[in-house]
Amino acid sequence: MSEHDSVDLKPTPGDRLANFYKRSDVIQSTIFGVIVTGIFVILGGKFYTKWMPTVMSTDMKAIERLMVVFTWIAAPVCGVVLGVALYTFLNRHSGDTQPPDGPATRTNGPIVLLWSVVTSLLALTAVVYGITELNSSSIASAKNAEDAMVVNVTGSQWVWTFEYPKLGVTSHELMLPINHPVTFHVNSVDVNHSFWPVQLGVKVDANKVAETTAETTPNKLGEFDVKCAELCGLYHAYMETTGEVMTVDDFNNWVVAQGGHSA
Amino acid sequence: MTTLDQHVGTRPIPNPKKSLITKLNAGTGLIVGIIFALLTYRGLSTVLDISVYELNNRVLLATMFMWSIGFLAGIGAFIGPIRWLIGEDLTAEEQLYMAGDGQGIKRYFKYCTDHKVVGIQYLWGVIVLLAVGGAMAMMIRTDLANPGGHFITPSVYNSLVGLHGITMIIALIIVATGPFGNYIMPIMIGAADMAFPRLNALSWWVLFTAIPVLCSAWFLGGIPTGWTAYAPLSVQAGPGMNAFIATIIIFAISTAVSGANITATVITMRAKGMTWNRVPIFVVGATLSVAMAIPAFPTFMLAMIMTAMDRSFLTGFFDANVGGTGWLYAHLFWIMGHPEVYVILLPGVAILIEIVPVFVRKPLFSYTSAIVGFAGIVGLSFLVWAHHMYMSGWMPMLNGPFMVTTEMISVPTGLIFLVILGTLWNGKPWLKVPMLGVYAFLWNMLVGGITGLYLSDVPADMYLHGSMYVTAHFHYTLMGAALTGAVAGLSYWYPKMTGHMLHERASYISFWLVQIGFQVLYLGMFIAGAEGQPRRVVDYAEQFATSNKISTMGAYTIGIGFIVLLWAVIHSWRHGKIAPMNPWGAKTLEWTVPYPVPLVNFDTPPVVTSDPYGYGRSAK
Repeated sequence: MSEHDSVDLKPTPGDRLANFYKRSDVIQSTIFGVIVTGIFVILGGKFYTKWMPTVMSTDMKAIERLMVVFTWIAAPVCGVVLGVALYTFLNRHSGDTQPPDGPATRTNGPIVLLWSVVTSLLALTAVVYGITELNSSSIASAKNAEDAMVVNVTGSQWVWTFEYPKLGVTSHELMLPINHPVTFHVNSVDVNHSFWPVQLGVKVDANKVAETTAETTPNKLGEFDVKCAELCGLYHAYMETTGEVMTVDDFNNWVVAQGGHSA
Repeated sequence: MTTLDQHVGTRPIPNPKKSLITKLNAGTGLIVGIIFALLTYRGLSTVLDISVYELNNRVLLATMFMWSIGFLAGIGAFIGPIRWLIGEDLTAEEQLYMAGDGQGIKRYFKYCTDHKVVGIQYLWGVIVLLAVGGAMAMMIRTDLANPGGHFITPSVYNSLVGLHGITMIIALIIVATGPFGNYIMPIMIGAADMAFPRLNALSWWVLFTAIPVLCSAWFLGGIPTGWTAYAPLSVQAGPGMNAFIATIIIFAISTAVSGANITATVITMRAKGMTWNRVPIFVVGATLSVAMAIPAFPTFMLAMIMTAMDRSFLTGFFDANVGGTGWLYAHLFWIMGHPEVYVILLPGVAILIEIVPVFVRKPLFSYTSAIVGFAGIVGLSFLVWAHHMYMSGWMPMLNGPFMVTTEMISVPTGLIFLVILGTLWNGKPWLKVPMLGVYAFLWNMLVGGITGLYLSDVPADMYLHGSMYVTAHFHYTLMGAALTGAVAGLSYWYPKMTGHMLHERASYISFWLVQIGFQVLYLGMFIAGAEGQPRRVVDYAEQFATSNKISTMGAYTIGIGFIVLLWAVIHSWRHGKIAPMNPWGAKTLEWTVPYPVPLVNFDTPPVVTSDPYGYGRSAK
């Protein structure tokens, strides 16, 4: 009789799974996890676009979208980690004596496998998405390379200088015509600087002798900031200037006013 | 070691009166070091004209290295090697004397070979470095509290940023492996001491000589380069740069010595029966960390030697005009730099993983996953360095591959999370201060890891690189994860290291002040970075005012929190509650020895029959 009972009491894997979903710790952790995931999804969609400055090029738009999508990819991970963490934190043992022993679970093969596969897939998603973006931006810049306007950018301690070789203009402010692709050829005369027209969403270091390039197409009228993003000595913080994306007419007028010849 | 063992049974108080060793200590070290430095400076400056840039650099570097050598000679570091040269060795009495047994507080100021003494020396070294680095951080945040503030000049600010950086990096590299790797780890594996006790003393005292050298940077005009010390800015820099270079070279020697010693100890001196699958996870983490440092730091040392040669002999390794390139520096730096962040992270994480089973009273979930996670991080960390150089213009073609390797690190890191969560699951954690650190880690590492994902992505990094966002990200991983782990380790092992419990209320208060202040500080900094504020700027535009104000408030909260912790550490050292032998009910070997820990740790060498995670009621 008793033998028969003990056989009956042993739950089948199916029963264990069914019971698993009824356990209060599972339910509570899941609720916490879903709430956390929801918060990250909502905040991820709102906050970066709020914090980041005006989008003035397709590159900047892509970056903003990427920040949002990556937050969404990360949201379920946050949900799982913080769901379990919050549940156990709230169900803690208090007092000055150590708690009773828990179950002696050494490992759980399927869980370890599932966890590894899911995190690998999430990482893969991020990799594929990033590579795709990288690829499409380099295709776009290759396509624009032919008719792009070249601007030679020179960093020196602690001034940016912009030279428009075809137009015969040199300036310390970066004026750009709207919807016209531009290629920056970046150099330095002294130490490393990093050329960062913030709202255009591109950045590249200025090195001595070795020229670097960056391409973008501004698509919104208005002023933007140009900064230095690499510590370059005493007045690094003040190595900034302004730029403006103008209509083509305004740009041509500016070029003529600077003594250059209009394109 | 064998000599020590033989003499322990019938231990006379060692008193090798005639030996030189008994007369040397840190005081004589200081005197000889200063004499060496002065003689070198005086001697060389009569021969070389110090108003010339490269000649001045030669004189200063030589002075700094001679200080270090003089100090080590004065404290008696070379007595052993010199005896070997003349075909002798230290006598047994002298060796026992060097172990410092029965010499009270004096042994902490001597060339002492006892690993427990070295551990305490490292602990106070770390505390001093963290206090200095933290004070610099407070000055940085005070300057950045308001736009247009002129609290400090740009020159002082740049020096602060660089010296805060390198001070904290050095402090964090040794924060876990120094105190706990030296004091606790040999006991944890059942050894009587380290494999090379004299090298152990050497690694600490070599590191010690680097501290005055680093401080001298202030009196030589500071450093303008940040802790990355990029060339050509570092070649252009003033005499303070020599202090930075000498510090790194001395520090690299210390880590090489200590890394070889810890690795050898763990490989050869584990207790009988402690097979590789029974080694406590902290030992694994600390060993992998120093093993990773052994190949990584020499590249930094090499980069610094080349910078020194560019500055002292105008060699032009990094000068584009004569065929050198600054990219070479960046590569050498980051080939060290990225493994280095994991050198910092692994021991801190390993401490927390060591803590979880003790306070949840469950076995560690999937020991294998923890090992695979650590090993994966170590392996990948050598393949990702150029993600710091996406925007440098060097080989844009390779940005894609480096992005892939970087994002792959999230998989082994995920395993570390699984191990902690799996151990927490079905358990009721005992929320003592060490265990609180585990929760802080889960949140901080999550934020640090996810923000790392954005930064690893080339298009997103195009915007974020060089901004305050990066600064906030790596503080989350290095401070939020690694330092939190080390502080948790301090409250966990404090009873074994001092015989007293760490003041509980004060450490609770400190924990919450530090962690809340931390979230406020770096939330503000993430916003400032996303808004477009570059890092390492003494001043910023009006638009960043709010986020910077938030950050500064958070920073002060952290400052107060750490002052409370410092008080608790000092107060409890003598006046804390007397600790029982095993206050947390842990199963690792260090809790089987009494306080004060005997000179050779164990009366009878322990024999290990299982891993130390056999908690939990057996399955029904």
